[in-house]
Amino acid sequence: MALHKDEIALDVQDLHKHFGGIKAVDGCSLQFPKGKISGLIGPNGSGKTTTFNLLTGVTAPDSGKILYNGENLAGLKPYKIFRKGITRTFQITRIYREMTTFENMLSVAGLSIPEREVRQRAEELMDFVNLTGLRDEYGGNLSYGQQKLLEFSRALMTDPDLILLDEPAAGVNRTLLVELLKHIHELQEQGKTIIIVEHDMNVIMNHCEKIFVMDYGVKIAEGLPEEIQANKQVIEAYFGHT
Amino acid sequence: MEKSEVRSIYLLAGFLVFAYALPFAVGVWTDSIFYDRQWLADLATVALSGLMQGGVYAMFAVGLTLIFGVMRVINVAHGELVVLGAYLTWVMFNMPEWLGIDVYVDPLLSMVVSLPLAFLLGYGIQKLLLNAVVGGPELTPLLITFGIGISLVNIVEWIFTTDYHTIPYEPDAIHLTASIAVGKNKVISFGMAFLISMSVYIFLKVARLGKAIRATAQNADVAMVCGINIYSIYMITFGLGAALAAAGGTLVSIQFGFNPETGLQYTVVAFAIIILGGRGNFIGALIGALMLGVIENLIAFMVPNGSAMVEIAAYGLMICTLLIRPRGLMGAKEG
Repeated sequence: MALHKDEIALDVQDLHKHFGGIKAVDGCSLQFPKGKISGLIGPNGSGKTTTFNLLTGVTAPDSGKILYNGENLAGLKPYKIFRKGITRTFQITRIYREMTTFENMLSVAGLSIPEREVRQRAEELMDFVNLTGLRDEYGGNLSYGQQKLLEFSRALMTDPDLILLDEPAAGVNRTLLVELLKHIHELQEQGKTIIIVEHDMNVIMNHCEKIFVMDYGVKIAEGLPEEIQANKQVIEAYFGHT
Repeated sequence: MEKSEVRSIYLLAGFLVFAYALPFAVGVWTDSIFYDRQWLADLATVALSGLMQGGVYAMFAVGLTLIFGVMRVINVAHGELVVLGAYLTWVMFNMPEWLGIDVYVDPLLSMVVSLPLAFLLGYGIQKLLLNAVVGGPELTPLLITFGIGISLVNIVEWIFTTDYHTIPYEPDAIHLTASIAVGKNKVISFGMAFLISMSVYIFLKVARLGKAIRATAQNADVAMVCGINIYSIYMITFGLGAALAAAGGTLVSIQFGFNPETGLQYTVVAFAIIILGGRGNFIGALIGALMLGVIENLIAFMVPNGSAMVEIAAYGLMICTLLIRPRGLMGAKEG
């Protein structure tokens, strides 16, 4: 069922990105619903991370539109997209290893609030993900899971409306994952839109309200978790023809 | 720490001990060392002067290391920016006299004008010439800065000729004891260099913009997705580097003569320092600068005809550090 314009957080239209002869994203159109947790899945090399990179400006698309609040974001620099309220995390965490946890939080730019409030927000978010005890620890000394939490909480510094999480479950132990998912749901309850790229199907099927499936750079299916689980094309994409 | 890491740092430390012992060995060999009170006092004076000179070297080394650390740009025009700072100081020093007013503008005061000017020049160079090539092959920005350096030398020569200029400023000596003395201008330069370097260090540590510069240095891609406009950070960084170089130029100008060609010498000095201290590392640059200042003075003092050999110190330290421990004393491991 097509979504009404007001129900769409991010409207991706006919997105293309080629790397030499490889069509990483080949005419992909996706409509991410507002205020929901969406999942973007697909076999390895299907173009999920490239799509994330295109949405956040890390890579510029060859063609296509990325509409956000009526504005086309395609080709904008990452810092501009970030300042419009879209943040992301990476598949392999990217934090500043030679800065403390607190400095990592404060390194976020483009905030239009006074320094005192920035620091207060950083403290609150560190508390939100239980990193307060590691406030003055260097990023490089944190465990991988803690780095993921740091990256996640740093992405929330601007109070973004749209959060893109690239494989949040990868390399995170179960206890921490439960914690992380709890935070993600809390954010959704606050009205934020969340898009997750993930290989862990338990996470996708149990926590996403809408799922998009990509293969060879195109969207092959979209729907509710149970619809996706029953979709023949999706099963073929993952397991091959039977 | 890995075993090879420990080995390389010990090797570098060993080399530095050897480097410092060498002037003494040459002195013993050539009978220019005397074990009397006067000689020891002279040695103390020389070492102290070296330390003071190192402080000034730190000014431009810090600028160079900042530019490299943030953008991976090898700025071979850095020495020319130092000389430009010296000329700006000289112009402002003499300006009132040219206008028929019988006063001199204090060189330190002239920084109020020369530093913002140098900042704007650096900012403009980055915006117009370097922003487009940062992040690509390292050779491209290097060649661009090489071109900028040559252009600066020629412009300065065209305006001021190749004559040497000096600024007579506080030539008296401060006597610490009856026989240990150090030039007042050197002490002032050192104090100023210390003040400016520390201000920059604190700015990088504490200020939001400073944090953004450090963040960009650590990972420009992440900085961008955290809302940092890295291109404006690049412009500010180059501006800051140029201003630091110009500040170094002012401090150099009140101690030594300079002409448009002097820049190369300071480029080499700055490179030797940041290679020894570790490219991109602020504290490394400070330590490297002090070490080079001292060793240069020791050579000039103990090696016969040593003044002519001083430049070897910079080249020698640079080459040997690259061979023994390419990342220097405190630089991050590359690759």
